[in-house]
Amino acid sequence: DEKEEGKEAMQQWEDEWDDDDVNDDFSLQLKAELESNSKN
Amino acid sequence: IETARIFDFEEFPVKDKVTYMYYTGRLEVYNENFLVADQKLTYALMHCCPEREDNKRMILKYLIPVKLSIGILPKQWLLQKYNLVEYSEVVTALRKGDIRLLRNALREHEDRFLRSGVFLVLEKLELQVYQRLIKKIYLLQKQKDPSKAHQVKLESIVKALRWLEMDMDIDEVECIMAILIHKNLTKGYIAHKNKVVVLSKQDPFPKLNGKPVSS
Repeated sequence: DEKEEGKEAMQQWEDEWDDDDVNDDFSLQLKAELESNSKN
Repeated sequence: IETARIFDFEEFPVKDKVTYMYYTGRLEVYNENFLVADQKLTYALMHCCPEREDNKRMILKYLIPVKLSIGILPKQWLLQKYNLVEYSEVVTALRKGDIRLLRNALREHEDRFLRSGVFLVLEKLELQVYQRLIKKIYLLQKQKDPSKAHQVKLESIVKALRWLEMDMDIDEVECIMAILIHKNLTKGYIAHKNKVVVLSKQDPFPKLNGKPVSS
């Protein structure tokens, strides 16, 4: 029973989320922004 | 509450132990003892009556900000299941490094977060969001030119923040970087004259890994 509980607890949380992926929309927009020369 | 210590905790009925852990866990949230709060509230969550979803929701309302503070995110289904979607945008903000989204989410749900007393805890997540944003800038630079990636211009950070509708000048950004370095969320140093943050080549953005941000 405790094993089941432990398993459920594991599935509730995520600690390995801080990845190196920069292909999401936010990162792509950020990239465009950093590469633009405008000051606005 | 403290007198409970002279009894053997294990002898109490589970129901009472859950109640005790819930309330003392909440106190630890206010005291910002996140590791103890995590233990107590997790105990309450694991041992509370599985059918009482409302009780689980009450516990999660406090456990989620505690977990966020030590760098652990709740899965999306958990927020949906217990109708705690007010945390959804906070989680997304942390994932992306979107400081504007964090501020908007806190503003939008301010009443609710103030009432439960977790507002100040959530406000402190800003540092983790800044860390994530700087890391994104670093990763994008690395993609372009790995040899220069560890030097991040303060001007680039100003630019990113301006895009996120946060008007800060270079001195304010330097101050934020100093805090991130001081709290070990970033490893490196600020080359003040050159207006550049020089990141450590080894693990420039240490993960919290279940530990609170150092004070």
